[in-house]
Amino acid sequence: MFDLSAHPGRLFLFATLMPLVPAIVLAVGGLVRHLTRGCGGWQGTLHNLLGGDRSLPLAGYFTVLFMMAAAGLTIWGAVRFFSDDGTHPERWAEQVGWIDIGNVRLGSEPAGPSSALYLGYRIDRLTVLMTCMVTGIGSMIFLFALGYMKDETGIVHGRRGRFGRFYLYLSLFAFSMLNLLIADNLFQVFVSWELVGVCSFFLIGFYTEKKSAGVAANKAFIVNRVGDAGFLVGLAVAFTTFGTLNIAELNEQFAHGVPHGISHGLWVLLGLGLFCGAAGKSAQVPLQTWLPDAMEGPTPVSALIHAATMVAAGVYLVGRCFPMFAPEVLLAIAYVGLITLFLSATVALVATDIKRVLAFSTCSQLGYMMLAIGVGGWSAGLFHLLTHAFFKALLFLGAGSVIHGLHHEQDLRRMGGLRKVMPVTAYSMLIGVLAISGAPLLSGWYSKDAILADALGFSLANPGHFLLFFGPLLTAGLTAFYMFRLWLLAFGGTSREPDAHPHESPAVMTLPLVVLAACSVAVAWGWPVWDAESSALGQSLAAVAPHGHVTNGELAHKLAHSNHLAAGLLALLAAVAGGGYAWVRYGQRPPTSDQLREPTGVFANRWYFDALYDSLFVRRTVQLAEFTATTDRTSPEQPTKRSVTLDGLLTGVAKLVAAGGAELRKLQSGRVRGYVLAMGLTVLILLGMLFAVLR
Amino acid sequence: MTELGLTPFLVLAAFLFACGVFCLATKRNAVGILMGVELILNAANVNLVAASRFVPELRLEGQVFALMVVVLAAAEAAVALAIFLNFYNNHGSADVEAAKELKG
Repeated sequence: MFDLSAHPGRLFLFATLMPLVPAIVLAVGGLVRHLTRGCGGWQGTLHNLLGGDRSLPLAGYFTVLFMMAAAGLTIWGAVRFFSDDGTHPERWAEQVGWIDIGNVRLGSEPAGPSSALYLGYRIDRLTVLMTCMVTGIGSMIFLFALGYMKDETGIVHGRRGRFGRFYLYLSLFAFSMLNLLIADNLFQVFVSWELVGVCSFFLIGFYTEKKSAGVAANKAFIVNRVGDAGFLVGLAVAFTTFGTLNIAELNEQFAHGVPHGISHGLWVLLGLGLFCGAAGKSAQVPLQTWLPDAMEGPTPVSALIHAATMVAAGVYLVGRCFPMFAPEVLLAIAYVGLITLFLSATVALVATDIKRVLAFSTCSQLGYMMLAIGVGGWSAGLFHLLTHAFFKALLFLGAGSVIHGLHHEQDLRRMGGLRKVMPVTAYSMLIGVLAISGAPLLSGWYSKDAILADALGFSLANPGHFLLFFGPLLTAGLTAFYMFRLWLLAFGGTSREPDAHPHESPAVMTLPLVVLAACSVAVAWGWPVWDAESSALGQSLAAVAPHGHVTNGELAHKLAHSNHLAAGLLALLAAVAGGGYAWVRYGQRPPTSDQLREPTGVFANRWYFDALYDSLFVRRTVQLAEFTATTDRTSPEQPTKRSVTLDGLLTGVAKLVAAGGAELRKLQSGRVRGYVLAMGLTVLILLGMLFAVLR
Repeated sequence: MTELGLTPFLVLAAFLFACGVFCLATKRNAVGILMGVELILNAANVNLVAASRFVPELRLEGQVFALMVVVLAAAEAAVALAIFLNFYNNHGSADVEAAKELKG
């Protein structure tokens, strides 16, 4: 079990199991507390020990401790991994049988060996970097939530606080996400994928007293189901064709061209299915509508799940399965990314809710990552995934700090001048804004440059796809504009709400901000720092980049390398233009009332995606549900009126029988002579029939 | 003395049966109805005994069934008279038209 020299990968397994401990303890504790409520004697003592009607802050400290232990274990594991000579990769992977499903006939071949589903882990460089990112950012966000969720510890508005429940969901989420990252087969990924989804559902709908939160949670869950259906199709194709779901084995099949036994159509279907799942999780067009609504959850959740980790799972999956994608699928991924990054950025331009701006920005950045992987920039896409996680977590936590300081005000138009009262929040957020805009020497600059270079290389190698470079370039300018707009509206100028009385957040909330700001600056550094291609993190990923089936991939890669500087300069120019324009509009003088009015138009309506889905699917479903409901309901006002319903039909049969009975009953008149007459007549008729037969 | 044959007996039985049915249909008195039932039963008995005498295959069966009917008629009369007695106690008359409690 603890034989770490033979199996150093178990460090990551233990790190994964770490957050499961508080999840189980909190679940059992909460259950016991619920069962002993109102009891006397030793049960009552136990109830009071578990917090009684209050929610103990201890739950949070306990969870933070275990999450930090997980972070420590992953860092220890990372040190061992990078000091390993890499000659024995099997030391970093193990698997155990899970479900044996016997002989499965694959296609026209004779029955092969027994097929089984396995549970296992496989640690490679991507897993190491991703787990370090998740546990590190997770610890910071768990710490931040101690301050942000403090309201929930006591008795709030006459109901019991939900502090323990919040940390239960958070730790369960951390376990699922880590399990997703270390899994060595797609089925285990799928299981964790669903666990992550359900944790997201719980946390979006955490404020159960808000109807909008419940609606948003449903929306997120249902939209994700659409993507998961595609994921299952991909899994089915992979399993029936190759008889295994092990990611390494599947990638090996595709490493040297297209393997035998799979037609081109199935190959495309496999890729599209997997990408469909990823698009659902990573909020890509057309399944992007759930992410902005997911901002109904508590802000630490938005930071952890809907910016840094869960939505990253889709990009991670696409990166993991990169060699399995057909050229057409990669092109589709690139274009979906392009559409997503552009549409979301335009919506962020006019959004007025501080968290929504960040949510659309997240969509847009995820689009960048998908586009990068689609054009063959595997390392650039995953590099951006890692750097983006840090500065987006920072931005969300900063927004959380602002919301906390302003007593749950989220509207940018009612902020302003906050840099004077919340200096730590303001300047750490400024670092985040600069990083996401791609300011030189900050982490976002390295990864965004790499993406744009790969996009440029691809469009030079395939001149028909020039949009794949110009779209991201234009959006780099838009990104800088909306991020500076957000910062200037919230922190610049003077306060537009004099009665707000904002205050700086406590140290438990500002410390994670400072740590994440430091990471946002330095996490991608290498030597020399001024060379965009020298980033240690980026090169570390580039060294293990798998071979994919990209159209003109070799040429694109060479062109990307030789045009890196040009792409970087163009991106910088776009960012400076966007940021400068934001300064001109919002920085020089207080915003005019015209700029602060409620936004309208195609951007403010999110390109009418929500309206379209509402009229196409939601309202049709509701109509169908209402129709089926009427078949089983008589209206309460006129119970006898609607006899066409199912209920009316069954009642009708009963009524028929009752009416027939009432008629037949009259035959029993009680008059003896009537009976005798009937008897006599019957005898006569019978005799008549007898004679008729005998004749 | 010449044999009468089966036919006169059947005619007698039919006459008796018709009288019984007529009695059932016209009498309102419960005892009268009971008498009608007795007539019908005895019409059947005449048939059975005549068949026993003139049909060789039914020699034994006719007599056995006639005895059976006699026993049955005695039992029926006992039960029916008991019912009528109770009926008279409850209603103060033996008129069957008065029995309307279970009318549908």
